[in-house]
Amino acid sequence: MNAGGPFDLRRTQELFWTLITAPEGVRAAIDGLSGRGSIDEASINALFAGDERLPAVERLDIYANMYFYRLLDCLAEDFPKVRAAVGPERFHNLVTDYVLRHPSEHPSLRFLGRRLPEFIRDHQQVAADFPFLADLARLEWARADVFDAPDAAPLSREALASLPQERAGESRFTLIPAFALLRFDHDVIRFWRALDDAGSVPAAAPDGGPAAAPPRGSIAPPARRSAAARVWRKDLVVHHASLDDEEMLCLELAQAGEPLGRICQVLAAGRSPAQATGRAGRMIQAWLEDGILAGVVTP
Amino acid sequence: MGQPVFLGHGVGLRRDHFERVLSGPARVDWFEAISENFMVDGGRPLDVLTRVRERYPVVLHGVSLSIGSTDPLDEAYLDRLLALAKRFEPAWVSDHLCWTRVGGRQAHDLLPLPYTEQALLHVVERVLRVQERLGRAIALENVSSYVAYSQSAMPEWEFLAEVARRSGCGILLDVNNVYVSAKNHRFDPRAYLEGVPRDKVWQFHLAGHSNKGAFLLDTHDHPVIDDVWDLYRDAVRRFGPVSTLIEWDDRIPEFERLEQESGRARAIQEEALQQEPVKTARGAV
Repeated sequence: MNAGGPFDLRRTQELFWTLITAPEGVRAAIDGLSGRGSIDEASINALFAGDERLPAVERLDIYANMYFYRLLDCLAEDFPKVRAAVGPERFHNLVTDYVLRHPSEHPSLRFLGRRLPEFIRDHQQVAADFPFLADLARLEWARADVFDAPDAAPLSREALASLPQERAGESRFTLIPAFALLRFDHDVIRFWRALDDAGSVPAAAPDGGPAAAPPRGSIAPPARRSAAARVWRKDLVVHHASLDDEEMLCLELAQAGEPLGRICQVLAAGRSPAQATGRAGRMIQAWLEDGILAGVVTP
Repeated sequence: MGQPVFLGHGVGLRRDHFERVLSGPARVDWFEAISENFMVDGGRPLDVLTRVRERYPVVLHGVSLSIGSTDPLDEAYLDRLLALAKRFEPAWVSDHLCWTRVGGRQAHDLLPLPYTEQALLHVVERVLRVQERLGRAIALENVSSYVAYSQSAMPEWEFLAEVARRSGCGILLDVNNVYVSAKNHRFDPRAYLEGVPRDKVWQFHLAGHSNKGAFLLDTHDHPVIDDVWDLYRDAVRRFGPVSTLIEWDDRIPEFERLEQESGRARAIQEEALQQEPVKTARGAV
């Protein structure tokens, strides 16, 4: 091979990539390239070796299949609830569209799905058929991110108890890195639980069209209503839980570095001082037990 | 670096076996961890690898170095790999003689190179840079392949041997990949073994594949087949006691099944090393 020739290493790799990632298959990709005058079939055969048992195009198809199914398997593993919600066929089609638009650019497959939630949100057909799906995908992706976020020792009860009482209001919490707050337009937390209870049986296609798998127990899609959740990791295990508006606001304040006094102001609205103190105590107690507080600093 | 220490017989560390491996003694000598799976900030994967490393030798085996790519080397990836190697002190670091990326896009597959002088110069230059960056020699593995290039000017084993000679890297000889590619491209797998320098092989891989009729597919979802065990026996006779690892990545069985497979490799190695002389090349498989 000649470094400056028609098939130097760079051009060979670009052509290989084009052929094995074409969604319609290697044969159609070659026809497309030939039609545009980019390359002719003779050149393909001059570059790739095949034989009577397995022509070059079929050999390249092996790579094309492996390329797609590896990515599909990865996303199915990272988004099991999204897949369950839409059924395997719609999920397959969604992944086909997604990897065309967002081929992997990271050496680890771990990050392949990072743009899937926004892709679903902006995907006209999928978003119309499954308005809740982007929220569900955000929850699954947040869980993936929390799973391998940096480690941090949780705040101990003793460290919290040692805060000087008179300056507690000025104290600021820090949260562990393996923690996320999410706001949703649909109640996907309840839907998640329903999918779990049903063993992730896929729902029927919402338009009454052919479901990807027999709907052995259709689950109603989540209602459109504001919802919030926190996702966190404790003892290496990822959890998530619904939050009411008040706790969501308090955690957002804590995350933003606002002092405890500001959080207590939120809780004081419409409560007696004793009730507000009780509510703050229970809330912080739960945060401690779940290990989401990393530290507390008093200026 | 000459041939590294003989680690014995190991298996690939896979998530399905994390609990089992940590819960008690395993009848294997060492583990191989897929580097990219541990290039994360924290959480369970790193915790598990830390605890495994406390008890066993570990080798870091990557899939995304993309040593043959015409893209620039991924410096961020090398940073991560270097940090991982510093933290876990692997017996060695390995990846594949292939390319996986072009134009910044990742195939997540081990794509074959044309075996030309141009590709050889390109790969050797990159191996030298990676080794300098990591402060250690690396080992490169032969991949299973399904298509070859008409322009290839030398057989794969010659290309692999030349990369090792010119760059000083080691060879991770995947015996199953030799067999799969030999079937797919109709060459003699024993000629492959004889074309690999005796002093460059640091490690063997063994795995199962799938017979798709017109070709063999390297699926890592079956036990090692008898023909590959036979080839392994010949490899042991040629290369001596080389650290051997069983890979099983799909339809993963109970850990005990991997222990059995690893035990079989151990028995074959022990038996083969008592026999002389090394077999000569046979006809094509």
